[in-house]
Amino acid sequence: MSQSGFACEVTGVWTQYGSTVIHRDLNLGIRTGEVMALVGGSGSGKTTLLRHIVGLTTPSSGEIQLFGVNLANLDRDAARQARNRFGMLFQQGALFSALTVYENIAFPLRELRQFDEEAIHLLVMHKLALVELEPKHAWLLPAQLSGGMVKRVALARALALEPELLVLDEPTAGLDPDRSEKFVQLIKSVRKQLGLTVIFVTHDLDTLVGMTDRVAVLADQHIIASCSLPELANVDHPFAQNFFKGVSERLERTDKWKIAPTH
Amino acid sequence: MTDAEFRVEDLPDGTKRVILTGVWSLRCVQNNFAELRDHLAVFFCNPFTHWDLSGVDQLDSAAAVMLWTGWGKQVDQRMVLRPEHTAMFDMLASLPTAHSFASGRGSVMMPLQIMWDKYLEFFGHIIGFLNLVGSLILEFFYILKHPRNIPFKEITANFYKGGVLALPVTALVSFMIGIAMGYLMALQLRKFGADIFIVNVVGLAGIRELGPILMAIIVAGRSGSSMTAQIGVMRVTEEIDALSTMGISRTLRLILPKVIGLTLAAPLLAFWTSAWAIFGGMLAAKLQLGISMEFFLDQLPKVVVPVNLTLAVFKGLTFGVLVTLIACHFGLRVKPNTESLSGSTTSSVVTAITTVILVDAVFAMVTRSIGL
Repeated sequence: MSQSGFACEVTGVWTQYGSTVIHRDLNLGIRTGEVMALVGGSGSGKTTLLRHIVGLTTPSSGEIQLFGVNLANLDRDAARQARNRFGMLFQQGALFSALTVYENIAFPLRELRQFDEEAIHLLVMHKLALVELEPKHAWLLPAQLSGGMVKRVALARALALEPELLVLDEPTAGLDPDRSEKFVQLIKSVRKQLGLTVIFVTHDLDTLVGMTDRVAVLADQHIIASCSLPELANVDHPFAQNFFKGVSERLERTDKWKIAPTH
Repeated sequence: MTDAEFRVEDLPDGTKRVILTGVWSLRCVQNNFAELRDHLAVFFCNPFTHWDLSGVDQLDSAAAVMLWTGWGKQVDQRMVLRPEHTAMFDMLASLPTAHSFASGRGSVMMPLQIMWDKYLEFFGHIIGFLNLVGSLILEFFYILKHPRNIPFKEITANFYKGGVLALPVTALVSFMIGIAMGYLMALQLRKFGADIFIVNVVGLAGIRELGPILMAIIVAGRSGSSMTAQIGVMRVTEEIDALSTMGISRTLRLILPKVIGLTLAAPLLAFWTSAWAIFGGMLAAKLQLGISMEFFLDQLPKVVVPVNLTLAVFKGLTFGVLVTLIACHFGLRVKPNTESLSGSTTSSVVTAITTVILVDAVFAMVTRSIGL
């Protein structure tokens, strides 16, 4: 099992499409139990990196280890088991549009073939309660949900198999500030209850300051810094400096960092 | 991590105690809760079994649900739990059970309800279709008054996509059917010594029936389905709404060019299809009956009167309009989910082909005294 202390390790990853280089010798480690934010300008390859991590795409060279194993080297059954150990929340939710909310959340549980209908019902209701949705919402179709609800249902589906690692692509994009604040609180409370490791990509500074333990800055095709938010001040790179300006204003408003500034 | 394990102890009073240890969680991939449930089933059935969960390192909702349903959805004095386990089971107890949902299944009125819904749906389609036709007519008058707004580019694009690109497939299909029909007829006609009538049969069938109907079926499958899918996806991705906010009429820009483009292409395609069907029949006549192609072509205008061509043009136009209108109608009814998109595309093609064949039967009856 993953006793190395890293839930995910990215070593020497290169990604090239034709002559365009997206990642140049990229290294990143995500410790078990931490919340890591991945930030960078538009088109800097954040989402591509996330897709590499969850094994949707493979890098041109380099290795990505998830829980100490490389997904690409596993056989079909082992890869499937390994994939059940993380949950991914896609930017648009990616709910199955032909299935109800209930069926969407029940889908991964059914695929596991370990539970009867009664247990599945209880588990789905449990997940709905976890993301603060009401039981009556279970019978709606994705097209009938608001943006915030789609995200919450997608989160419930990602959490259905009790993953250790949660991968979030723009969790609060398209939500109003109030909703996005609530969603951040939700992810924090879920993380506390279930003891998750979280990797997420975001453009929203409030989300970033609200959730993250460490931040990895992706610029010039590699990770230029991976440190806590206040330490970002010491990073000598125009993107990081610019970014820190926005972050520091928000940090001043949060007590969290005033008490333990370098922790 | 050690996976979920249990051992059984005999208590002095003759009952048993099940002691659970390890990680009772889906996170431990070796765990299979279906197997665990089967192994524990004996103890679940016995109401005097004691349970000790104090040695469990981790208990997730999946394991908790498995145990809780086994215990008959209650926790009592027989269970020794950790505080966090108690919280988990309290949480489960507060969830609505399957019975708390009133389901409307199994009612006597169900078949009637379904029939009524279908009836309403049918009228919904009729009204939607009439709306579409009405707005098309209005748009048509609008562009007559404002000729600068005629979407020439879109019309020609649709003509090319629906007409020109359909040339190879229509030619191939009708040529093959022409050969098959030619051979069949040749054998029958030979029995009566009426070899020469192959020209009549192939010529009339090719021009009056095969050309327009084959064209319509292929166009419905090819262009009709793609139109439905295209309009449907544009609805799902709100592209049609984007058009409307720019003050551009969706009927003028999306529907009208498709209708005009394909309606213009359809009679030409019908001729093309007829020509290949006749060519196929001609080849069969030459091979089977020894009727030369020169003789066949010489005989053709004498037995097939020109009014048949006019009829073919009318049929082509009608079928073209029908297929396009039906395709657009179903496209505009797509709801934003994958099921609706596939359902609408299927309905579009099926309805178009059925309607075309129905209309063709009506044509055959009405025009039975013309050109035969």
